[in-house]
Amino acid sequence: MDAKLKETIFNPIFKSNPITVLVLGICSSLAVTVELKGAFVMALSVIAVTGLSSFVASILRNTIPNRVRIIIQLVIVALMVILVDQLLKAYAYSIDKQLSVYIGLIITNCIVMGRIEAFALGNKPIPSLLDGIANGAGYGLILIVVAFFRELFGSGTLFGVQVIPQALYDLGYMNNGLVILPPMALILIGVIIWIQRSIQKDLQEK
Amino acid sequence: MNTNSNTYTVIYSTIIVVVVAAVLAFVATALKPMQTANEKAETISQILTAAQFGEKSSWTDNNATIAFYKENIEKAYTVDLEGNENGALATENAEVFSTSDLKAQNYAIRDAADAKLPVYVFKNGTKVIPIYGAGLWGPVWGYIAVGSDNVIAGAYFDHASETPGLGGKIKDDPAFRAQFVGKVFDFSDLKPFAIVKGGAPADKANAIDAITGATMTSNGVEAAVNTWAKAYETVLKVTPAEVPADTTAAAEEVAFSDVNVEE
Repeated sequence: MDAKLKETIFNPIFKSNPITVLVLGICSSLAVTVELKGAFVMALSVIAVTGLSSFVASILRNTIPNRVRIIIQLVIVALMVILVDQLLKAYAYSIDKQLSVYIGLIITNCIVMGRIEAFALGNKPIPSLLDGIANGAGYGLILIVVAFFRELFGSGTLFGVQVIPQALYDLGYMNNGLVILPPMALILIGVIIWIQRSIQKDLQEK
Repeated sequence: MNTNSNTYTVIYSTIIVVVVAAVLAFVATALKPMQTANEKAETISQILTAAQFGEKSSWTDNNATIAFYKENIEKAYTVDLEGNENGALATENAEVFSTSDLKAQNYAIRDAADAKLPVYVFKNGTKVIPIYGAGLWGPVWGYIAVGSDNVIAGAYFDHASETPGLGGKIKDDPAFRAQFVGKVFDFSDLKPFAIVKGGAPADKANAIDAITGATMTSNGVEAAVNTWAKAYETVLKVTPAEVPADTTAAAEEVAFSDVNVEE
């Protein structure tokens, strides 16, 4: 594997993470991180959609007229999302039931179009596919970290399973109501960005 | 080729849109039968979950779910707003009202029009009625099962687009629907059933706690439950007149047979 391909795959996970560095996809990361299960499903679907739509957009990249490229990208993304939704409805109905709420959030997720615009339109299909998948994974990683803290402190559960023992509640411990509301997700993402910037000094602005 | 010319842009856009539309139309048509079958099995599994035949997650196989339903259903019929029976659902085909049928009936209730409201009666005496209404972002619907004494035996709710982890709890949190068990509809109350923010009073038999952070969804479920419960009032109500009437009839029968024996 050459160095450039490696960068394409591993950079979006940490060094140029779509949420913490590119600051894309913030809205959906506030909405779907109340519980780990939802964050997990959302992460997998975004990985599939960013990968596929980057791939298709890259195949068409030399034919797309420049002036209408944004709307063509949108059509491609919407097509992929609806196709995935329709196939799941027919072959994996229970997964589709869990996804239903997120479908709309995927189409409008800035990461999908951001990566097509920034990467897929200037690169070959295979690297574009990998770039899409890697960015979806980077997005999913942050989602899962945030959801872990929100579900643990907000509901006392992880993946819906009670982890904070009843004994602690009997001693007067209470779930934090603020954590299940979106503002706390923003604060948590802020903390993650802070941690990342103190590790990666080159991201700090002078 | 000049990809920036007007002609090219217009033709390209047209082709893309037509191709995408064709692909979507083809896929939607081809997959429609499977999707309908899945939706029907899903509806049946929700009815069975409400009727306490098993947890929602246990109904994974479509055929097994439908077979179980056919085995245990006693009778499925529709009633109008006065509670008179006005139609039957074919139990041998496991015919049920889909969510869109419920939506149509919701309009019928609102307009006090000719309603056909489904009632599913199981062999163990459990009756299941649907509810349908508006949540915060989209429709909410569900099924409420009452035992032969009209005490609520179970409930199941579903939604199209409530916020996961907040309003979504009507479906995802078993503790929310477990609260319904043992409650009753009190038609002498302003609201036959109440979902109370900040905790339901312990002495009320027709009130449960709302979901924290999901006031709008809780209100939506409450409104849906009340609208439909009122429409089903005669089906759900324990009429004091009915109970003694039955006992007298039974007593008379016993008396007659006694007479017969003596003769």
